[in-house]
Formats: sequence, structure tokens, C-alpha cells
Amino acid sequence: MMFVGCRGKPAINKHRMNQELSDFAARLHESIISGFQDENREALALGLFALQFKDNFAYRKICEARGLTPKIVEHWTQIPAVPTAAFKESELTSLAPDKRTTVFHSSGTTEQKPSRHFHNSESLAVYEASLWKWFETNYESRIASCEPLILTPPPELTPNSSLVHMFETLRQKFDAPKNVFAGKISTEGSWILDFDLLLAFFDNPKSKIQNPKYIFGTTFSFVHLLDRLAENDLQFKLPENSRVMETGGYKNRSRTMSKTELHLLITKLLGVPRENIICEYGMSELSSQAYDSAIQNPESRIQNRVFRFPPWSRAQIISPETGREVADGETGLIRIFDLANVFSVAAIQTEDLGIRRGDGFELIGRAQLAEPRGCSLMTA
Amino acid sequence: MNLPNYFLADLPPEATLSPMMIAEACQTLKRNREQYLANRSTQSLVNFLSELAENWLEPEFQFRKFALENSATIGFSRATLEKSLDNFFKQLTRENFHALLVQEFSDAKRLDALTVTVAEQKQNRTAIINAPEFQVHIAAGNIPNPTLTSIVFGLLTRSAQFVKCASGSTFLPRLFAHSIYGADPKLGACLEIAEWRGGNHVLENALFAEADCVTATGSDETLDKIRKHLPLKSRFIGHGHRVSFGFVAHEVLYGSRAKKIVATAADDVVEWNQLGCLSPHVIYVQLGGEISPEHFAQLLAEELEKREANEPRGELPAEHAAAIASRRGIYEVRAAHSPETTRHWCSKDSTAWTVVFEADARFQMSCLNRFIYVKGVSDLKTALENADSVRGKVSTVGIAAPEEKAQEIATQLARWGATRVCPLGQMQNPPLTWRHDGRPALGDLVTWTDLEL
Repeated sequence: MMFVGCRGKPAINKHRMNQELSDFAARLHESIISGFQDENREALALGLFALQFKDNFAYRKICEARGLTPKIVEHWTQIPAVPTAAFKESELTSLAPDKRTTVFHSSGTTEQKPSRHFHNSESLAVYEASLWKWFETNYESRIASCEPLILTPPPELTPNSSLVHMFETLRQKFDAPKNVFAGKISTEGSWILDFDLLLAFFDNPKSKIQNPKYIFGTTFSFVHLLDRLAENDLQFKLPENSRVMETGGYKNRSRTMSKTELHLLITKLLGVPRENIICEYGMSELSSQAYDSAIQNPESRIQNRVFRFPPWSRAQIISPETGREVADGETGLIRIFDLANVFSVAAIQTEDLGIRRGDGFELIGRAQLAEPRGCSLMTA
Repeated sequence: MNLPNYFLADLPPEATLSPMMIAEACQTLKRNREQYLANRSTQSLVNFLSELAENWLEPEFQFRKFALENSATIGFSRATLEKSLDNFFKQLTRENFHALLVQEFSDAKRLDALTVTVAEQKQNRTAIINAPEFQVHIAAGNIPNPTLTSIVFGLLTRSAQFVKCASGSTFLPRLFAHSIYGADPKLGACLEIAEWRGGNHVLENALFAEADCVTATGSDETLDKIRKHLPLKSRFIGHGHRVSFGFVAHEVLYGSRAKKIVATAADDVVEWNQLGCLSPHVIYVQLGGEISPEHFAQLLAEELEKREANEPRGELPAEHAAAIASRRGIYEVRAAHSPETTRHWCSKDSTAWTVVFEADARFQMSCLNRFIYVKGVSDLKTALENADSVRGKVSTVGIAAPEEKAQEIATQLARWGATRVCPLGQMQNPPLTWRHDGRPALGDLVTWTDLEL
């Protein structure tokens, strides 16, 4: 599909580096670290929208097409959200080309064009503060003296992965050595596991009786690991309080299985009980993540796994029919307003479906993968 | 309306099918066929089927009423289902059956006795046709017509039939089977309808072991899996997924004629909510007419808006609505950045219909449910170059063109690989004689015996 880039009036200061955005980033960074105050959120959201409207040319075009400008928008929920797909086609950034030090791409092998989320040192500082604070808030008490193991390639091999950047940030916070990254890149360019390193980690007699492990990885990397363990008839019982964090779906990189099946296998082959398996929801277009926890559904005896974002990042579940927020318990598309996306766009419309549960959501999955009824040939 | 427990699909959801039940059902079907169907004349079956179709067209026919009352359960509004069903049953006339039999067998009585055509007479030969004793249909779930057609053809050729429907898609085939049973219990006894999730090898092996002929619709992957599980003796007729598109020549894009053509394009988008293999994903509009492709798109949007009032699309499951909403989001961004090359029109407060105009002429798969692309091209050759990604997978091309150009267009499309060319507005409404995927309608089912004198 052809996309003709941003046209229109000559883009004077198209990516004007705005001091106001830098100041905003610094203030938000400070606020995240010192304890974000919910009551500031509305003002911050409207303030950030005004700045992004002014400085982010590609975003401004979208807002103008919808007739929504800072003068009109009165509430954060009215701020125009951009679809994640727009990150593939437009440069949704306020950073001038020479100020971009890092770009995160969306993962997935089936995409023609990856998303591009540009960063510089200031935006990365906000990203790192955001990811650590929410991780720490959720899990800090449980991670003391954990030994992390990360099932992705190391950051030097994957400079465009926001996920690996996050894992690297966590590794540093854990004060763990660099060799905890157990992934590598195959000759075809896909992520694979270094099984020798993994087995050594699981089999290390020194650590066996010692610290709990914390295994981080993508869903497909866990499938690769579990398949390999099963093939070799291997089973481990990781120390008590060991944990698993899985994220990101399959992306055609492994066979697929249901969450329940995956978690049962993790419990069976790694000895990590279900309550110690945590799912993360994040994407390269965001600077904050959501974690799930078990919530008792008041209407049934079932426990729902509900994802929550940090207070500086809000999720809404949007009816695909009306574009308005759905009622509690209803299904819709997940939209996130992430204040930590300072230099890109805060309001992001994902293609993921979720069920609204209070201020969180249950994740259903990717809408675009929902095969339409009828004939569905994919064109290359 | 309470349907009696007659078919396996009538069993309560908690009932579990076993291979033994399938095998027994197959044996019963074969016995019944021998007793009630094998010796019926073609004419009596044509009479039966055309009378049944006439019944289905009667507003008070109980099965029709029941189908329409429950249209939402199968994902269509009442009006959409009504029109789509009418279009289907209107085809099942004595004349059309006769035309079909003559087209396929050169003589409408070939299934009954040795018959001879003029050409055969010259060669001193004659021939008779046998159909398979037992046909199995593996039906896809998108729209019911192909399944109903399979049942009709199976009856016409006097086969016992077992129809395996995709999960959640038995409703109409089951109603149709009950209507057969209601009109002639003996014929109904030669038919079985069941439902299970595809890939259940235990059940399918039991079924395939008995099949003389298996017809299947579905993805290439599904067809491949089925083929691999068939015994050597079973004939396999697979219909993989296909796509379709429209082409409007510039000569007809003038004045009131253009408006009529827009309305026919809307017919194709609305029928079965665009979910069939014959429904268009894209309408290619030739440049150079009074109405530009972009204007055509706008008129089509206005027409779809009108249709929504009388033939609403109906509610969609969240994931399908989400696919439309997500796709719209992409075009909204493109339109904001380059309105000269992308425009889109959407139903308000719903995903009921969407028209996307793109200057980029490359073929684009629609997410369906009344989501249509309009693309401008300088000529048919350019359209086909841009549809190269689906070449070999195209079923129908609906055309609007001056009569004198139709043959030239059809020849060009045939050489390119399309297997059906029809007027725009008739895409999802093929005649009974339609050669599915360019293959004989009945010819692949049957076996000939020639007598050389």
C-alpha cells in the first residue's frame, strides 16, 4: 500500500525541539519517581495534548482532520487517539531527525512495515522511570534477591526492541550480570534461545539451593523453551518464590497454545505455580506497561486476570461501533492514554480487544488477527 | 417452531458424537438411499426440488418464517437474509434444472437411462451416468448457499449425503434439511446434517471411510488436510477460498446510468453482507467517465447509507467490528495526511458500512461486512496488473460496461484467470448452471458409462 508522506504547507519547525516538552518530560519523570498524584492527571493530559498538537506535525494533521484542537478538547477522554498502525506510516514524533537517538520497532514477522517510535535520552529516561516504577510498585516486595533470566537476545543485538530495552533496564535494577540474556539471533534473523546457557542456569548447583529465579520472556520464547525441555524429557523445580513474566503473544514465531495450557506447562516443567506467573501487556508505541492480577468476578466464581496500567497511563475500552467507552464487563478495543509518551503521541488506539473490568481490562487479543468470516486470503 | 430430533445436528449441545454413531449413520443413509432414492427419476427429483424452492419463496412457509425470525442468530438482518434467500431459491426452477442437466450431461435424462445426442449418434455411441452412492460435504461457515447447493446437487444426482457443517453454522442447512424431510420423509432419510469442529480425525476418519465423493469448501490448508485423510477410493472436490472484484468501464459512467451502476455495486456489497467468495473486495472504476472514481465512491457511500435504512447489516461480534474500526483508523490517518489520494466514508456511530477510495490501485483485501474499496484505473489491463497478488484466486469479476465491450472484457479476464464474469449487481447471485471455480457444476460428481455400438 502506498502512503504519501506528510504534505501540505511547508513544514517550518516540523520537528521543532520544544523546550516545553523537555520541561514536561523532566517534571513527569520527577513525578513518577516521587509518587504520581492522580489529581494532576487531567491537567497534565490536556497540557501535554496542547504541546503535542503544537509540535508533532503528523499528529496535528490527524487532530485537525477530526476537528479536535486544544481549544475544543475539554477532557482527557476527548483527546484524539492515533491508531498504532499510524506509527508505521507517519513520523509521529516531536523529535527532529537529528535528535532521535533510538527508534523502537514493533515486532512481528508478518508485518510489511514496522512501527517506528522515536526516542532521545529524555524520552528514554521517562520510559525507564515509568517501567521500573510500575514494576517495582507491583512486584518489588517479591523480587528481593531474585536471579533474573531473560529469554530474549541482549540489547546490543536488538537495539530497536522496546521490550529488550525494558528487560535491560530491569536487569540493571536487579544488578544482574549481562549474561542473563539467554536469547540469540538466528542466521534468518529470528529470536532463538541459547539452550546451553539455559540448562546451565537451571542446573547450576550453586544457585539450586539459593535464590529464587525471575524468568522474563516473550510468549513464543517460553513455548520454545518448554518444547525443548519436553523433547529432552527435562523438568525443573525452580526455588520457591521463583517467578515468570510472559508477554507479547506468538507473532507466528512458535506454535500457539492457550494461556491456560502455557501456564500449566510452565508450572509442570519449571515448577513455577500459576500465582507466580505474571502477564505483561505493552507495545513499542507506548512508554508504560500493564500487568495482570487475579480479580474475583463478583458475578461468578471465576477469577478474571485483569490488566492495569500505572496511574500516569490510563486504559479505556472503546466500542468499535460507536467509538465511545463501553460499560463495565463489555468488550471493545483497548485505548491507552500514556502521559509517558511525551515526545510522540499520548493517546494510542490499539487493535487489541479487551473486556472492561473497572479501571482495568481483561485481554482478549488482536483484532486484526480475528479472521473475518468468508474468504480471507492475505495478500503479501 | 420446534424442530424434531431428526438429524445429528438436532441433538442437544451436550451430546457427544462418536465414530460409531457416524459409521451407523452412514450405513443407514446408504440403505435408505437404496430403498428411497436410487430409483427415483430425475424428473421427479426436479419436481420435488423446484416445488420445495417455491415453498421457500412463500412468505408463510414455516421454515422460511423460522429462518427469518432467527436471522440475527446467524449474523444477518432479517431483510438481508430474506433477499439473499430469495435470490437463492428463485434459481431452483424446473427450467433452470433442465438447463443445468443439459449443460452438464447434454441430455436431461442421462441419469435415468442410456441416451444419445446427435453428435453421439453419428459416432454410434450412447451413454448413461451414475452418481456416487454416498457424498460427504465438508461445509465452510461463512454463508449457507454453497452448502444448500451441495445438498440440492446431491439429491439431484441421487446420492446419500452427509453434511458436516463448521461449528455454529448448521442453522440454515439444518432448516433446509428439515424442509426436505417435511416434504418427503423418504428423501429426508437420505440426508444427514452434523456439526463439529473441523480436524476431529476420529469422527472424520469414520466418515471418510464410507465416502465415495467428498466435496469441501474452506481454506487451502483445510482442503489439504482433508485430502490427506481420504481413502484412495474417495473422489475429492475441493473449493478453496476465492476473492472477487468489480470493474466499471468509463463509457457507462454518465448521468442516470452511472447512478444505476452505483446501485448495482451496492447490491453486491449488501448481499450476504459481502461474506461470500463471490462478493467484491474492490470496485475498479475506469478513469475518463463523467463520474470520477472518487465521485463513484462517494455515490456508493450514499447508496450504502440508504440501504442501511431498509436492509441493515445487523450486529457483528466484537472482533469483526474491531477489525473494521481498526481498518478505518488507518484510512483516517492516510486521509488526514493526503486527502488527494485517500478518502473514506463511514456509517455514523456504527461499523455498518465503509467506503474507501484510494488512488493506489493495488488490490486490497477487504475486512468485509460491507467494507468496500473503490480504486481508479486507466483501463482493465491496469486493474489486472494491480490485482496480480490474487491472480489465480479470483472467482468472479462483476462488470458494468457497454454491451459491445463485454465480450472483449470477458475474454481478457478469462485469459487472466478469472472463472466467472457477470453483470455488477449479480456477483453473489450465480445461476444454477454456474461452474464453480470454472469446473463443471455436476460433471465432477458423476461417472459415465459409454456404450459403443
